Amino acid sequence: MLFQVKNLVVRYEGAEILKGISLEMEEGEIITLIGNNGAGKTTALRAISGLKSPHSGEILFRGQRIDNLLPQDIVKRGISQVPEGRALFPHMSVSENIRISGFLRNDKQGIKEDLDRIYDSFPVLKERSAQRASTLSGGEQQMLAIAMALMARPTLLLLDEPSTGLSPKMVTEIGRVIYNIHKSGTSVLLVEQNANLALSLAQRGYAIETGKIVLSGFAGELKKSEHVKRAYLGQ
Amino acid sequence: METSLSFVLQAIANGLAMGGLYILVALGLTLILSIMGILQLAHGEIYMIGAYLVYYLTSSLGISLYIAILISMGAMGLIGLVLERGIFRPCKGDFLSVITVAIALTLILRSYAVAQFGLFERTVPKLASGSLVFFGVAVPKDRFVAMLIAAAMSVALYLFLKMTRYGQAMFACAQNPEGARLRGINPDLISPMAMMIGCALAAAGGAIAGSIWMLTPTMGTLPLVKGLIIIVIGGMGSLSGAIVAGIFLGLMDGIIPVFFGPVVTSIAPLVIVVLILLVKPQGLFGHG
Ligand SMILES: Nc1ncnc2c1ncn2[C@@H]1O[C@H](COP(=O)(O)OP(=O)(O)O)[C@@H](O)[C@H]1O
Ligand SMILES: [Mg+2]
Repeated sequence: MLFQVKNLVVRYEGAEILKGISLEMEEGEIITLIGNNGAGKTTALRAISGLKSPHSGEILFRGQRIDNLLPQDIVKRGISQVPEGRALFPHMSVSENIRISGFLRNDKQGIKEDLDRIYDSFPVLKERSAQRASTLSGGEQQMLAIAMALMARPTLLLLDEPSTGLSPKMVTEIGRVIYNIHKSGTSVLLVEQNANLALSLAQRGYAIETGKIVLSGFAGELKKSEHVKRAYLGQ
Repeated sequence: METSLSFVLQAIANGLAMGGLYILVALGLTLILSIMGILQLAHGEIYMIGAYLVYYLTSSLGISLYIAILISMGAMGLIGLVLERGIFRPCKGDFLSVITVAIALTLILRSYAVAQFGLFERTVPKLASGSLVFFGVAVPKDRFVAMLIAAAMSVALYLFLKMTRYGQAMFACAQNPEGARLRGINPDLISPMAMMIGCALAAAGGAIAGSIWMLTPTMGTLPLVKGLIIIVIGGMGSLSGAIVAGIFLGLMDGIIPVFFGPVVTSIAPLVIVVLILLVKPQGLFGHG
């Protein structure tokens, strides 16, 4: 088992936002957590990345507890997040954004190679490498955010609603990028409101509603479920 | 005619030297504010203690001025580390605590200086003796040395921030603290660095001021106020803004008193700040 969340409870100012959620994934899987606005998806990812300490429950990575670690230690273990809103460094250039995302690494050569690889897979970032991150379009910013998370060479990549606010064409493009990242061997936990995209990319999925997991299963099964059709696919 | 040219050139030299000192204080203030999110109102006292330490090192221990300045910068840098860890980190995020603590620190450091060194004005050796002659007018050399030191330190800071991993991490923390944490940058590593650099720059500024003019326990107030004005005019967190605004304020402080009385001298900078903010609320170089 690569990654496991057990009975995770997270509170904000006394309000229980996550009411004991559990999920798990094997190495090499791509899974999705779908849910409507306010369901608690971002809160779950914040807890996993160490930005918010859980009230109770466990988060395990390769069998070891990580729920009491600091964000930088979680990144070091191999979990990297593309957060909601992208969290770029807006007044730094595109290349500075990418380079500083390798902050924890000491292999100069490896960083250089990864930068080249990123420019190969995202030619638009190479074109814009000297521009400030804030001058990029929404889709380009999302590409940059993904590139930054990849600089940590993660085993597990967490993505928080990467399709939000993008044009349909751009959503397809982001979908292709996520597909390739998974194909190259990275495990992916994709959080989405766009259940259509999420369930076509993921092997398995979980649905979260007001802090509880209400459904889980293979993506194909979920797509056919009446509940999912009604609640998430608008059918 | 002769005398008025001499007045103007001396005023410009004085103004640029003062501008350099203001910049050294403002760069530290803006670094601390944008990375740690705190308004370090005791920063002027770091400047003052840094100057008195140079006074002690040169007058009591006979250490040469430039070595004394370096030692004082190092010592104040260490004090910055202690302040960050011991005082400011525990009240992070609590605006009122930060202000209270900073004011308490101001009172403590200032009283300490009065108790230790008295209210008499003290002097430290000159940065340089003699004058440079421009258009037949002699301008004291130490003003130019002060400008050079301020310029060299500003350039060094810029290169550090732009070229090194830790410098870039400081920018990252300032622009998006949570984003920085997600990329593995630990704010508890970066904040002490900001404080250390800020305090060292303030100590250099204080020492230079003490060498050109003199030392008093209240010498830190003016550069603190100027530093705050510079941050507002230059734009929060903008280094180039701080430098331009610093030179501008210094020149005004050098030149205006030569032509106008004390009332205009003290009001003019504030009027200009208000005018700038009316036109550009985010400051000259501020981001949106
Ligand atoms: N920092 C916070 N303080 C208080 N409540 C919060 C905070 N962050 C999120 N919440 C609440 O937690 C709930 C879930 O939010 P979130 O995890 O962002 O949902 P999602 O990402 O699924 O849209 C919402 O009701 C939101 O108001
Ligand atoms: Mg969310």
